Amino acid sequence: MPDQPGIDAYAAYLPAYVLDDNRLDPTTPPRTGGPARSVAGYDEDAVTMAVEVLRHVAADTPAGRHLLLATTSAPYEAKTSAGVAHEALGLDPGVTALDLRGHRAGASALDLVVRAGATAALADVRTTRPGAPDELAQGDAAAAFVGGARAAVLLARAGHTTEVLDRWRLPGERHDRVWDERFTAEILVAAGLDTARRALAEASLDAVDQVVVSSSNPRAATALRKALGGTGQDATIERATGFTGAAHPGLLLAAALDEAQPGQTILLLSATEGADAFVLRVGDGVRVARGGPSVRAQLAARQRLGYGRYLRWRGLLDVQGPARPAAPAPAAPPMHRRAGWKYRLEGSRCDACGRVTTPPGRVCASCGIAGSDAATGKVSLRDRTARVVSVTRDHLTTMPEPDVAIVVADVDGGGRLSAYATDVAPGDVVVGMPMTPTFRRLWTTDSIHNYFWKLRPAPADAAPGKDTADGQ
Amino acid sequence: MASRRTTHDVAIVAMGCTPFRDHWNSSADDLLVDAVQECVGSLPDVTLDDVDAFWVGTQGSGLSGQTLARPLRLTGKPVTRVENYCATGSEALRNAAFAVASGAYDMVMATGVEKLKDSSYSGLSAVFPPADGTDVDWTAPAGFSLLAPAYQAAYGIDEREMRAAMTRVAVKNHANGARNERAQFRRAVSAETVERSPRIAGQLGVMDCSGVSDGAAAAILVRAEDAHRYTDNPVYLRGMSFVAGSGSGLAADGYDFTTFPEVVTAAREAYAQAGVTDPATQISLAEVHDCFTPTEVVLMEDLGFSARGKAWRDILDGRYDPDGALPVNTDGGLKSFGHPIGATGLRMMFECFTQLRGEAGERQVPDARLAVAQNLGGQPGSCVAFVAVLGNER
Repeated sequence: MPDQPGIDAYAAYLPAYVLDDNRLDPTTPPRTGGPARSVAGYDEDAVTMAVEVLRHVAADTPAGRHLLLATTSAPYEAKTSAGVAHEALGLDPGVTALDLRGHRAGASALDLVVRAGATAALADVRTTRPGAPDELAQGDAAAAFVGGARAAVLLARAGHTTEVLDRWRLPGERHDRVWDERFTAEILVAAGLDTARRALAEASLDAVDQVVVSSSNPRAATALRKALGGTGQDATIERATGFTGAAHPGLLLAAALDEAQPGQTILLLSATEGADAFVLRVGDGVRVARGGPSVRAQLAARQRLGYGRYLRWRGLLDVQGPARPAAPAPAAPPMHRRAGWKYRLEGSRCDACGRVTTPPGRVCASCGIAGSDAATGKVSLRDRTARVVSVTRDHLTTMPEPDVAIVVADVDGGGRLSAYATDVAPGDVVVGMPMTPTFRRLWTTDSIHNYFWKLRPAPADAAPGKDTADGQ
Repeated sequence: MASRRTTHDVAIVAMGCTPFRDHWNSSADDLLVDAVQECVGSLPDVTLDDVDAFWVGTQGSGLSGQTLARPLRLTGKPVTRVENYCATGSEALRNAAFAVASGAYDMVMATGVEKLKDSSYSGLSAVFPPADGTDVDWTAPAGFSLLAPAYQAAYGIDEREMRAAMTRVAVKNHANGARNERAQFRRAVSAETVERSPRIAGQLGVMDCSGVSDGAAAAILVRAEDAHRYTDNPVYLRGMSFVAGSGSGLAADGYDFTTFPEVVTAAREAYAQAGVTDPATQISLAEVHDCFTPTEVVLMEDLGFSARGKAWRDILDGRYDPDGALPVNTDGGLKSFGHPIGATGLRMMFECFTQLRGEAGERQVPDARLAVAQNLGGQPGSCVAFVAVLGNER
């Protein structure tokens, strides 16, 4: 148990793309002013987004805590997703990696952060059938929280479990089914109001400075925001991202913390399969508690995505690929032996000449001197900037794009990466361009997800993995 | 430390080479039999029984020495299978040469074969050992296309100039292949055809890439002092070197993708053995590894034919054309002769052998005396490289 329940550090991650138009037939008139959804790249999933967001806050998490991953879109059945994130972050093996599943998992993970000091990533990728009424109202995002008190302290919390058929999906199915939202709204509003009132009473507050409502049921969210006197700031974010599943209460809370002043109070209410309410007082350290860019800055930086590309990325449109065999599946023993390289992007630094060999090897690629495993220093390239030495475009890629850029890039401080570029138009990658590593899913062959690092254009003024103060 | 000429000099006394193309009706076995029969058939008094040992190079068309022993029904003979990426055919010849040079055997045969058209894929396919999945799944053109932007950046060459040089390589080699009945592609192509071909990787279009083909080639090697017992015009191996790169170009910073350091080393050693001090003027013709058009551009510099940063200009000036100062890839090269991996190195030897014997017909380089065969595999930054100097004088 932490000394003081609350949140020490937080981060939010929005993928680089936004979809605001889902017309299958572009000759029909465009819809204006409607909702938009956040779209994860074809190489992203709940695990990669969790790694991306956790990098900002959990790189130095001490032993003895829990790492939680809350999602409704785990890349594997049966296999623990949080374990991949744990490995990528290089956490102490004493930190337990644990998945929480289901729509309520995000709020439950937050509960374990604030009350038990856990570290949690809330990450979700959401799809509907093309043309579903809520296609643009579902979205992809991640948020991460570390227990402690710098960002906010917990004044009260209350929970309410309700078994109700709201959103569900059988194993192997791709899309949620949804019950008539008028029915579930009634259930969730009642649960939410009861829970919020109990939490406020426990905190001895009549009102709070900010109300943040996350609900799997948009009708319930609207009603609860109104009943609790919210400003609608949370609804504005939601309209730009869609409901992001298990990540949603975390995303909305992160957006609120981005702009809250120290000392202010926040009521976070998640109304999903019951309700979870948290009353928080914003901490004096809230400004330094954020890892990475603000939600607002990430919203502003997104690229628009065409509907056809979206459908192809999600596998909802079966497009002819190149006459080329599928990329090979990785094998378990080499993945395990080379976890430092594969999951943490660690090269070996030569004891004799100081230069970096990538992938790490027993013998230095520069001077040829062999070091012992124990003596050869490992160096993480994960948070460094790499500069493009040469670049090509693969027009026969097996990825769901007509072509992808592949670069060779030299890492500041030593080491060289041959890597796929991502989150960038292939033609925009040029020699000399600064890029930063990002954890992605390269491909899936033989039901094995192949995770490794790609390179994306470096932000002009910041490197990921470091606290940044943009957008403020 | 240095590689030297062998104790016994080595001569090639016979060669065979199938046409390289879509051999839908021939297996790798059939192609090997064709190449070997042409080779051994060119020596009236020699049969396969006279050959003491065999080497067969293939990347993916067979395992073990039985790749050759079985189709030929060789009985009681040693056969070694070798593989070194696209330099596999050269590697077969290199090891066979050592065997006669050592005195272990009097007569050996090097063969190479590849059957690429039995898969439904238009590029190269290979099976790699189980791995951690962190390697980029490059196509071969993607790996080699890295040369162009890096070369341009290093020497201040604009897109149009680089494109022109690459196009000229393709046009030249297709024109050469058009005069070669064994070549896969026998039509000259226009610059426009090259430049309008569908993009494959980076600046490379289909017409910047070598032909994917089936084929086989073979050579009979003896000690040089014995060569005239079999033929009046043997071709002598004057120098030969091979380097398996350390891969440091991809594993450490520093390498700039404007050169193949492995080729530079191999060329230096082969020239030293052959007594070549100025390759740009002493070499009569060269067969080089034009797997992709920018490869040939860079190789002209690595082999010492052009000054650094000047090969693109020399290519455009026609220096490497059939009537230029140093004809390159007179048989069409990988580009139009085709590139069945395991056979390619021996196909290069076949053209050098033919030219040095004055038997190249309308492709004949006048007064050809010294030829270079240069063959590589892998990709820029991490490759294997072979260079040989062949001469019609010992």
